[in-house]
Amino acid sequence: MLILVTGGAASGKSAHAERLLCARAVGARLYLATMAPQGAAAQRRIRRHRALRAGKGFVTLERSCGLDGLHLPRRYDGILLEDMGNLLANELYAPQAAGQTALDSILAGIKRLQACCETLVIVTNEVFSDGLPYADETVCYIALLGRLNTELAAQADAVYESVCGLLLPVKEGKNR
Amino acid sequence: MTVLFIGGAYQGKAALARRLYPDLPLVQNLHLLVREILEAGGDPAALLPGLRGKAVTCDEVGCGIVPLARADENWREATGRLCCALAAEADAVVRVLAGVPQYLKGDAPCT
Repeated sequence: MLILVTGGAASGKSAHAERLLCARAVGARLYLATMAPQGAAAQRRIRRHRALRAGKGFVTLERSCGLDGLHLPRRYDGILLEDMGNLLANELYAPQAAGQTALDSILAGIKRLQACCETLVIVTNEVFSDGLPYADETVCYIALLGRLNTELAAQADAVYESVCGLLLPVKEGKNR
Repeated sequence: MTVLFIGGAYQGKAALARRLYPDLPLVQNLHLLVREILEAGGDPAALLPGLRGKAVTCDEVGCGIVPLARADENWREATGRLCCALAAEADAVVRVLAGVPQYLKGDAPCT
């Protein structure tokens, strides 16, 4: 089962994603963190997310790119992948990452994760409606994230948007 | 009662709040209040008690690229977290698009 949880910054999407995963995956849980831990803001975010997950029985794996080459040590009941926005940025801009083939690399990586668990919950980001003009490179990033979200939502069994901490169903059931 | 109106800028949130909840005091543009508090060195979470029993409008400011300036990022984060806290205890949360209300929480009043 694939579940996609999207939302803006500080919209409560992580907490919902964890809850959705924990409700479905009662046994082994993997938290796959994609944020590169550089900078004070990243460290703050990581601390907050760790505190959220504490006591919920997650094994944490940090992998900022290259999920298509990832070898997991075992099969999991549930994997929580957080988040798409960071993963895409890393694949596009980090040295030795996928670069131009970021989209294919990410989708292949997600297939790989799905093969290793019963339930995959992916957190992604709403970055599409602040209406600000951006440099071409950033516009390219936004467009790719939009394509990724569209592709993942099409495959997903359920899609939710977190708004002010409220979870709104966008799609429930594969054929809608 | 407490009602939170969210949505993009210039969607008619305040007009709707006045029309649907004429008896509630109105607090407009919570996102701007958060920025003022941050700029004065305060904690925006402290605004929460003062928002109870009111109709509050706030722009949804979290749906963009992470801002380059730390102050902007903090503002976006603080606005989001305050809205989560307010929404959790609000009787109704209304998302407004082009002047049309969508109830994310609670029910529309009989007007």
